[in-house]
Amino acid sequence: MALPFHPAGDDPVPAALRGFARAHADLVELHEKPAHLVARHRNPGRRVGLVSGGGSGHEPLHAGFLGRGMLDAVAPGKVFASPHNKQVLEASRRAAGPGGVIHVVKNYTGDRINFGIAAERLRLEGIEVRRVLVDDDLATESDETATGRRGTGATVVVEKLLGAAADTGLGLDELADLGGRFAAASRSLAVASRAQTSPHTGEPSFPLEDGELEFGVGIHGERAQKTVTRPPLEDLVEDMLDRVLAGLPDGPDDLIVTVNGLGGTTLLELYAINDLVGAGLERRGLTAAGGLVGTFVPALDMAGFSLTLTRLEPSWLHWWSAPAVTPAFPRTPEETA
Amino acid sequence: MLDQETVLRRFAQAVEEAHDELTRLDQRSGDGDFGDNLRGGVRAALTRFETGGGTAFGALGEVFLDEVGGTSGPLLGLLFTEIAHADDFAAGAAAGLAAIQRVGEARVGDRTLVDALAPAVDALGSGFVAAAKAAADGAAHTAELRARMGRASYVGERVKGDPDPGAVGIALLFWAVATTAEPDAEVPSPV
Repeated sequence: MALPFHPAGDDPVPAALRGFARAHADLVELHEKPAHLVARHRNPGRRVGLVSGGGSGHEPLHAGFLGRGMLDAVAPGKVFASPHNKQVLEASRRAAGPGGVIHVVKNYTGDRINFGIAAERLRLEGIEVRRVLVDDDLATESDETATGRRGTGATVVVEKLLGAAADTGLGLDELADLGGRFAAASRSLAVASRAQTSPHTGEPSFPLEDGELEFGVGIHGERAQKTVTRPPLEDLVEDMLDRVLAGLPDGPDDLIVTVNGLGGTTLLELYAINDLVGAGLERRGLTAAGGLVGTFVPALDMAGFSLTLTRLEPSWLHWWSAPAVTPAFPRTPEETA
Repeated sequence: MLDQETVLRRFAQAVEEAHDELTRLDQRSGDGDFGDNLRGGVRAALTRFETGGGTAFGALGEVFLDEVGGTSGPLLGLLFTEIAHADDFAAGAAAGLAAIQRVGEARVGDRTLVDALAPAVDALGSGFVAAAKAAADGAAHTAELRARMGRASYVGERVKGDPDPGAVGIALLFWAVATTAEPDAEVPSPV
């Protein structure tokens, strides 16, 4: 195996952030101490700033979704580690609108506490804050733990819908309520055929034999609770579709389908998976009202994919199709005009 | 009025003396850096207070929120900041407890610093010495508890027998407050 192309030193994140800012200088601005990025443009109608963040290693999340129609600022932590509360604080100060700021937080203890401390500090400064918690991963649904479901692929869907809603000038409480409903309407499940590469050894971070599949992986290199014999892709997708549909709360049958690569999976594979998902939905009499196919929330270069379904309320459809001018969201104003 | 500068100096001295014990306690259940984090934060706050002015609790709050790593460091920073912003110590400590519980979601009995802070805040109505005793008792009681929150929750029953280091840190703070406010009173040391 070969080592990744990281610059010398033990933290590849600062150089990657500078490179990202160089590549998208028209859209984002990087502040290095403490590290956070801010969108250069926002809809003038937006009264509440949207801030997200979390560990690095999930690119293009979160900085890739900075810009008009989505996020106003992000706080990137080290690889697979929560950002420091000071990063979240600075990002939020810059992003806050007259109506305050929303934190979009994936459900992990470190993120909850660091965003929470930043929120306390913002309140002391007179900036109103609400949190939208994303907790979509069915693999971590259990009555035996107090930690709840992890936040994974639904983050992008929540940020897209919430960004469009914020652009209409909605206030803090309305947006926090909507964001919670977007997250509650989403469930995900992920599988992997190979672990992410260890930056230190160049080897997969955990072993998996040919013909095996890790069923229910997270996005931080966590192993799943079970390793299964790898079924044919058609059977695997059918099984995942059954499980995600069963995990979704009741609601409308219009679905947003997100087929997300975990970093080491090609578009050739992801589009084929999307075809199987679409056909499976049609067989069940269901429709995809929208979709995303690509690598949006990976775990470094893990070979695998996640399937996220979001039940779309009829009144949310125009938020899904609204323009988003960011480095990574695949919809431009021209396409939707 | 509570003499904040004296509280900071007594707290700093107590933390220096307890450093090795705090490290030992954290090595049993966490990653062993709590003694270093607490001592480093208090030292930096003393320097900031002596060179930058402001209040002692203001300096503690800024340093622990901005510079101290881990989870418990910034949580302590919330407490110090609320005390710095409040009209009196009791109101600030109560606000700090509320903030810590909003953020960290720990309750009494979870084996965290809340097990020392919550009874101390309750006892402040009876005076600083009563609060210091309540904090020390609360910290000592954590030795009988299994952790439900934080990294210590992963090691289950094996943490029992020794108190939670974060709770001991809180008891040291209340010891410093009580011995400052009532120099003639008998205040048992929590370590």
